[in-house]
Amino acid sequence: MSSASGEPKVQGRDIPNRRVVLNDISQLPSEYSTTPGGTFFSTTPGGTRIVYERNFLLQCRNSPLAKSPPANMLEIPGITSPAKPGVKENGDHSLKSVKEEKAKVSAEDAQFEMDI
Amino acid sequence: MASSDTPKEVEDVEEEMALAGPEDLIKHPLQNRWAMWFFKNDKAKDWCDNLRVITTFSTVEDFWALYNHIQRASKLPSGCDYSVFKDGIQPMWEDEQNKRGGRWLVNMNKNQRHHDLDNVWQEMLLCLIGEAFEEQSDDVCGAVVNIRNKGDKLGIWTRDFNRQDSILKIGRTLRERMNMPKSCIMGYQAHTDTISKAGSTVKNRYQL
Repeated sequence: MSSASGEPKVQGRDIPNRRVVLNDISQLPSEYSTTPGGTFFSTTPGGTRIVYERNFLLQCRNSPLAKSPPANMLEIPGITSPAKPGVKENGDHSLKSVKEEKAKVSAEDAQFEMDI
Repeated sequence: MASSDTPKEVEDVEEEMALAGPEDLIKHPLQNRWAMWFFKNDKAKDWCDNLRVITTFSTVEDFWALYNHIQRASKLPSGCDYSVFKDGIQPMWEDEQNKRGGRWLVNMNKNQRHHDLDNVWQEMLLCLIGEAFEEQSDDVCGAVVNIRNKGDKLGIWTRDFNRQDSILKIGRTLRERMNMPKSCIMGYQAHTDTISKAGSTVKNRYQL
């Protein structure tokens, strides 16, 4: 189709993709070995045990999905949350508290430093 | 450089999402759902009230989301424990799944807290969630790290101290994964023996 102006009307479009988050083993599709990343699953002979190699587990440590704490994590100051509220381990700042954090940033932030 | 008034943090997040491939957005399911517990020794409270579930997880990514955002074991105050058990099993001797069981015990000396403790604990957890004990994984209930001034302890708890073959296989895998030197002896103790111990030592049912 051409437009009235004579210019070809070509528009870029994102390649459609689907985001799949598995919350439970029962949601695993039967053809899971064909899903991206699915080739990491392995089973024991005669069983369906999901076994992960050490190196694969370690690779997942830096997944974008592991960068935020679990939503349902119990808050225990000094254990599951920094002793100082508002400073997240990965250095991100929630927008509303950026100002107050800037004032508070100190060497103690290293407490929750990630070691790789 | 950003010239708009979009906050930088937001741009970073968007960029990150755009770069992430589909393999980064799929969570990898674990064989089991696990609960992570925290125990703090507060003598003013009952033992059970000091024991709390931090969260549960059933994917590799959710495990790391938790592990990346909690205090390292070596930084816990003395008297505290972390436990990771299969969901539904409480990290105590009395639980139906533990009362006939025992643990492979790894004792740490004081110097090891800074060098080895976090690595060994992490290795134990990777063994659990990755099902490194294979068929014997069904005998495993969980893992515990006790932070104590007199010496830290780590243990893999199994459900039945009579299951010798399974326990020995678990122990051998554990030694291998922890790179435990041959000179170091690791013992398996039944919980009933630990409860009824007369002195400061508990006999080993098995040894590797």
